[in-house]
Amino acid sequence: MNFICVIKKVTVDKISARYICTDHQPRYENYKFSRRPVTKGVKKMRSLKKLKNFLTGGEAEKEEDENKSESEMSEIVEEERKPVESETKQQTVPAVEEVKKEPVVEEKPAIEETPVVEEAEPVVEEETAIDEVEPVAETETAVEENVEEPAAPKEAEVIEKTKKDEPKPKGSGSMSLLNKEENLIRAEEVEPGFKQEIIDAGAETVALCYQCGTCTGSCPSGKRTPYRIRNIIRKSLMGLKTEVLNDETIWECVTCYACQERCPRGVAIVDVVKIIRNMQSKAGKMAQAHKMTGVFVLKTGHGVPINDATMTLRKRVGLNELPPTTHEYPEALEEVRTILKKTGFDSLIGYNWETGEIE
Amino acid sequence: MADFAYFLGCIMNNRYPGIEKASRVMFEKFGITLNDMEGASCCPAPGVFGSFDKTSWLSIAARNITIAEDMGMDIMTECNGCFGTLFETNHELAHDEAAKEKVNEILSEVGREYKGDIKVRHFAEVLYNDVGLDQIAAAVTSPLDGLNIAVHYGCHFLRPTADIGIDNAEKPTILDEIVEATGAKSVDYRDKMQCCGAGGGVRSRDLDVALDYTKDKLTNMEAAGADAIVNVCPFCHLQFDVGQTEIKKKTGDEFNIPVFHLAQFLGLAMGFNPEDLTVDVHQIAVDSALEQIQKLDEITGGE
Repeated sequence: MNFICVIKKVTVDKISARYICTDHQPRYENYKFSRRPVTKGVKKMRSLKKLKNFLTGGEAEKEEDENKSESEMSEIVEEERKPVESETKQQTVPAVEEVKKEPVVEEKPAIEETPVVEEAEPVVEEETAIDEVEPVAETETAVEENVEEPAAPKEAEVIEKTKKDEPKPKGSGSMSLLNKEENLIRAEEVEPGFKQEIIDAGAETVALCYQCGTCTGSCPSGKRTPYRIRNIIRKSLMGLKTEVLNDETIWECVTCYACQERCPRGVAIVDVVKIIRNMQSKAGKMAQAHKMTGVFVLKTGHGVPINDATMTLRKRVGLNELPPTTHEYPEALEEVRTILKKTGFDSLIGYNWETGEIE
Repeated sequence: MADFAYFLGCIMNNRYPGIEKASRVMFEKFGITLNDMEGASCCPAPGVFGSFDKTSWLSIAARNITIAEDMGMDIMTECNGCFGTLFETNHELAHDEAAKEKVNEILSEVGREYKGDIKVRHFAEVLYNDVGLDQIAAAVTSPLDGLNIAVHYGCHFLRPTADIGIDNAEKPTILDEIVEATGAKSVDYRDKMQCCGAGGGVRSRDLDVALDYTKDKLTNMEAAGADAIVNVCPFCHLQFDVGQTEIKKKTGDEFNIPVFHLAQFLGLAMGFNPEDLTVDVHQIAVDSALEQIQKLDEITGGE
């Protein structure tokens, strides 16, 4: 129990630190605090080296430097993976090695990369810790050390400080751990051919999606309804056909193209929406109000047919009472009906030609 | 200048005939003849037909296009929904031989064939490119100086840009320029390019969601000091006009912002009788805007 508490505490710390790192300002501070001493050290060493070279001619060091520059880099990364050792290493080994380090360009990636390594590290620990259900005391101390050691006093301060600013997660004991059973996607739920069905229906670009979320971020329906188009696209690509075809939120799309206009991958998102809607309709999932628009077209040729008030109004402004459309030309209406019978639209919405009603 | 096959659609001719009247008179003045497409139907409604069955959607749209093909003229429509349906169908059938074949097999039942030799154009784009701002400005007899207008582009007039390419869909100017040719001022407002809320079948399926959009837009227009809304789509027009009464009923919020289709708005600037524009039967009274125009007339002596 004690072990788990320790891990949780550490995990939460690290998670919040990582979470904070996604904000611009604190992330930048984090960088400076953790790495600046090394940078300064390197600079100091470099001037020392220059002085040394000046005095000795520096022939031998130059050669050595070229050979070492690569291995040097990997050792710095290595260092970060083994924080316990690095305490001493940082002060001794790199100091000597970095004396010989010359190119400024190389210095930068080392600094930028290190926080990433630091970030990745606790995740690895977390996983192993969780896997070991009944840990022995030995591991406990090892883990404890591992995690707490690398936090230099200044870095810890930053984490502490930013932690206070962030709202604490409720019931922090388990908020980070998802229930695997609830979040598993099982093989039997996946229909691998679903993606191809969408492609065959005319939206081959769907496969280009890399899940950046620009679509949902741009979606005006997404900000007022549960409709999440990125999520639907992801499920479609994964083959979660049943889930997608039961998702009624697809009907909250106003087809405004905000998503498609901004999609960095050029996915024809509105086409995908309409394809999924077509599939749902085929499965009988159509709203009554929508079917009624279909009924009006079958009956009059217009989704919004004329009424008495508008006929009067048309007359008043000097237009024909009936517009020169299917309203005025019954044979044209017959053409519309023939086409919709041929495509099966009438039976799709369950239109009864005798009663003029939906069955 | 070229003549057009004039595609009416549903909402304009069957609910707001003043838009049709204004357009017919205006284009005659500009020397462009609008020819009736006899026997045309619903475009058909993209939200329902496009969502239910693509083949039905393409086939009815293609039938409408063949009427214009028989006339040998490009189509002009003043509804974003109709424009979206007809443009996209024309585009798709021109680029997808298999789809064209399939649709033509269906159309053969009624003795028609889609060829793909005409263009589908939007009324506002025709005004901007064919008529031009100079001619519009020259036709203005009652300048609308001092009127603050919230321009609503809607969705299917410009998007998807990759296919349509009329103007930049994120920050267009085409409508603002036309509106300002009358002397009125187009005011910028938050989320100007957002949908009115009616599209995609959302209005008929989930009115609360549609009205939430509309309220959002109206709130932002009001905050920018708009005296009136100018749109280029009878469905957006209906959503703003009828929508304001629905919002009042549901939430008690009152905006009372007059709504004009661009054809009606230009009609006012060109001195048409407001009654001919049927603005008197709008759900939301346009009196406030008309009074302001009246006032301006007194100041400027009507010139």
